[in-house]
Amino acid sequence: MLEALIYGAVIALISGTALPFLYRSKNARKASFSLSFISSILLLVFAGIVLYTGKEPVFPAFRFLPGLDFTLAADRLSAGFVLLIAVVVPGVSLYSVEYVEHAKGEARKDLQTALTNLFILAMLMVVLAGNMVGFLVFWEIMSLSSLMLVLHDYSSEESKKAGLFYFIMTSLSTAFLFMGFMSLFRLTGSAEFGQLDYPASLLTLPFLCLFTGFGIKAGLVPFHKWLPYAHPAAPSSISALMSGVMLKVAIYGFLRFLLSVSFPQLWWGTLILVMGSLSAVLGVIYALKESDIKRLLAYSSIENIGIIFMGIGLYLIFKLEGFEALAMLSLVGACFHAFNHALFKSLLFLCAGSVVHATGTRDIEAFGGLIKRMPHTAVLFLVGSVSIAALPPTNGFVSELMLFQAYFYSSALLDPLLKVLLIITLSVFALTSALAAALFVKVFGITFLALPRTKYAEEAAEATNPMLLGEAVPAALCIFSGLFSSRILVLLGFDLGIPDMLSLGLILGGACGLIWLAVRNSGPSESPRISKETWGCGMLGQNSTMEYSSAGFSEPLVVIFKKIYRTEISTTRTYSDTKESIFKSGTVRIHLIKFFEERLYLPAAYAVSLVSSQVSRMQNGKLDTYVLYVFIAVLTLMTFTRYYA
Amino acid sequence: MNASFLLFALLNTGFIMLISPFFMSLIKKVKAYTQGRKGPSLLQSYFDLRKLMQKEVVYSPNSSGIMRITPYLNLGVLLVATLFVPVVFIPDTPAGIGNIIVFLYLLAIERFFTALCGLDAGSTFGGMGSSRLMSLSAVVEPTMVISFAALAYVLRTVNFHEMFAVTAGSTIPESPTLTLISISLFIIIIVETGRIPVDNPATHLELTMINEAMILEQSGKNLALIELAHAIKQTILMAVLINVLAPWGLATELTFASFMIACLFFLVKASMLAGLIGLFESSIAKMRLFRLPGFYMMAFFFSALTILMEVFA
Repeated sequence: MLEALIYGAVIALISGTALPFLYRSKNARKASFSLSFISSILLLVFAGIVLYTGKEPVFPAFRFLPGLDFTLAADRLSAGFVLLIAVVVPGVSLYSVEYVEHAKGEARKDLQTALTNLFILAMLMVVLAGNMVGFLVFWEIMSLSSLMLVLHDYSSEESKKAGLFYFIMTSLSTAFLFMGFMSLFRLTGSAEFGQLDYPASLLTLPFLCLFTGFGIKAGLVPFHKWLPYAHPAAPSSISALMSGVMLKVAIYGFLRFLLSVSFPQLWWGTLILVMGSLSAVLGVIYALKESDIKRLLAYSSIENIGIIFMGIGLYLIFKLEGFEALAMLSLVGACFHAFNHALFKSLLFLCAGSVVHATGTRDIEAFGGLIKRMPHTAVLFLVGSVSIAALPPTNGFVSELMLFQAYFYSSALLDPLLKVLLIITLSVFALTSALAAALFVKVFGITFLALPRTKYAEEAAEATNPMLLGEAVPAALCIFSGLFSSRILVLLGFDLGIPDMLSLGLILGGACGLIWLAVRNSGPSESPRISKETWGCGMLGQNSTMEYSSAGFSEPLVVIFKKIYRTEISTTRTYSDTKESIFKSGTVRIHLIKFFEERLYLPAAYAVSLVSSQVSRMQNGKLDTYVLYVFIAVLTLMTFTRYYA
Repeated sequence: MNASFLLFALLNTGFIMLISPFFMSLIKKVKAYTQGRKGPSLLQSYFDLRKLMQKEVVYSPNSSGIMRITPYLNLGVLLVATLFVPVVFIPDTPAGIGNIIVFLYLLAIERFFTALCGLDAGSTFGGMGSSRLMSLSAVVEPTMVISFAALAYVLRTVNFHEMFAVTAGSTIPESPTLTLISISLFIIIIVETGRIPVDNPATHLELTMINEAMILEQSGKNLALIELAHAIKQTILMAVLINVLAPWGLATELTFASFMIACLFFLVKASMLAGLIGLFESSIAKMRLFRLPGFYMMAFFFSALTILMEVFA
């Protein structure tokens, strides 16, 4: 049964990858997306069974080298992430059927369709990989297929830069993973993922390597810069997959390692918690300043990844301090937040894709009034905004509630230093959550409400039905998984004592209904609704220039957090006289410092290019020189093995 | 959902709804006295609500459904929030009611939709108000969460009903640290209800206003619903402070006598607190917007101090 489901899903995805190349037609693309839709249904059933029964199936698949069997294996952790893939893919594939047709040129459409399937397949295989070799192989396929999707508009300068940035960062991530897995392999002598019963001092190097590697891929500050470049460049359906699923695959990998360590150390937990808090708060603060809708959503992903890492850090700390129940609460909270973020972020990216397609721009300053022109998209976007702003009874609230509850119950924790750390990170978490609400008031309000600011927004038309349907799937799941959260978790065996959102939702709905019934008939009966112009201090003829803009909306926060958005003011002046007393002309330039890019990435890049320019001197293109190099290398190796091995 | 809880929902929510406008007028009256005026009648808020209910609703053609659902949603959310804060008696609580984190986020729903409402009509005032509200509420959120966490630390539960069951049994505050939390809670009331020095509910001047700016486009019964929701919010936040600091009279079991006593006690205590808020508002000047984070830090400091004292005590 389980085998049939998995092989069915894999075969569907492989044929989905091959079809658009074999039959280059619109129908082939449609069939290809239907196949990915079908595979996600199969995966949904598979994940459901494994999660519910707790079976741990292993499927031997094929052999790379003698001794290196590539197996597929699943347990409840991987089934949870298979479920995450399976809930995001249906919406994306329904949406893409129509969306992919907007791409320029037949070849690009085919390529995008095929690569989407390959990308999904690779992510699935990473999660199901039974050993490190398979993990790394599919990790690379996942990275490369997404890279090609980021580069889909390969002729534009912006895409090229984004592609290069993404390629470097993802290679760096793989390099760190390689180092981490190699050092694990040296320790255990096996490529299997198994329990690591080693003292923590031996595992420090693997931990640091894997934390960095997975952190880069997940977009943890300070390795986050690729996200705001890659997401706007990629098609929206791919942004939804990358942000919704691929970042979570990195989380999965990290959890797979962390949960197998028998004796972790406290400083690991502290490090993870601090990095998570930093990502969370910086992600949302940078997002507030942004007015490119997709880049803004990318920054918001950094924030949510930060929250997930905070949960993981809390899990380690509570576990080591002996609070099993709180540790479980934090871990399930982190995983549930990963699941929820997959849902609402893919929803938001898909809706953003519709808006960008309808208006032809990504700048939210150019939008406005879209709720009248795209009412369905607006409602779906509102569902996503409410979830991501963590308002009850949606799913985004439940996972944040779990983390808050873990914090609030930690009164028995006695270590004073840890307590101070928890107070600080708790306030950072609260700040993040409130800033996220402010952010999504801004995004929704500026994009959809009031009057259109440009003619692009004025002429926008509602998205077509398949696209709306694709957005409706994650929206419905957001509400469903919020309302039934505690029931589902109890069904899966996690009785965490979180409040029941279903009863809260019913009471809330009932209260609003009662109020409506009570005041329905009050007021004058003859003219219940009059329409009059917005009040403008007596001036008539309101227009869109009187509205608040995106930059205006976030200005108070920019002022409050001006230490974080660093600006550099450079002035040049020329004077009419030599004593510099009569001012002739001058310029002032205010420049927003991209802190991480200018102070961390660029110096590193300069250092690398400096070293490589030295190394390139050794390249002269003559065969005999290279033979000499090989000879020296062999000689060195022989000497080395003679004396040291 | 049991009978005791249904009764509680009716009595508690009904009582809070009934008395909330009174405290709005009371604060106005106190402020008027300190300024040497006579001030409006103590029932003025009720008259205003009745007047608004009878007026027609005027919508801007720029506005959308957000403007139309927000009044209902806001009042609905606040009515649900009243279930979280018992002022007459403490019922057998069904799961999920009374959780302080849910309570905080119910208030966040109200904020979120009020802010959207401010942007909806496309008015500059509305945008200004929602921008300021969301910014300031973001900065005050750590303070609120830390204060509530301090409550949870001291009273060892995250449920208001259980907390108040602990405090109601004692005549003096359960722990001296609760007095410290009360200072933070008082500042939170000032911030959340938009009073001086944060916001000035009495003016319509764009330099100062936050809350009034967002509801500028509301009218008729929608405005009445929003005003009522605002009054209820003030009452339940006051009730949290009262139940923590001076919980006398709060019944743990329902009899007719205990109900009457609880109502009377709450009325007296809340009137005193309302008077205090009025005096506080009269004695301090409106702060510059960007000096407010410092004001919040004060509340943050007291709550963090509470937690630390609990740790080292």
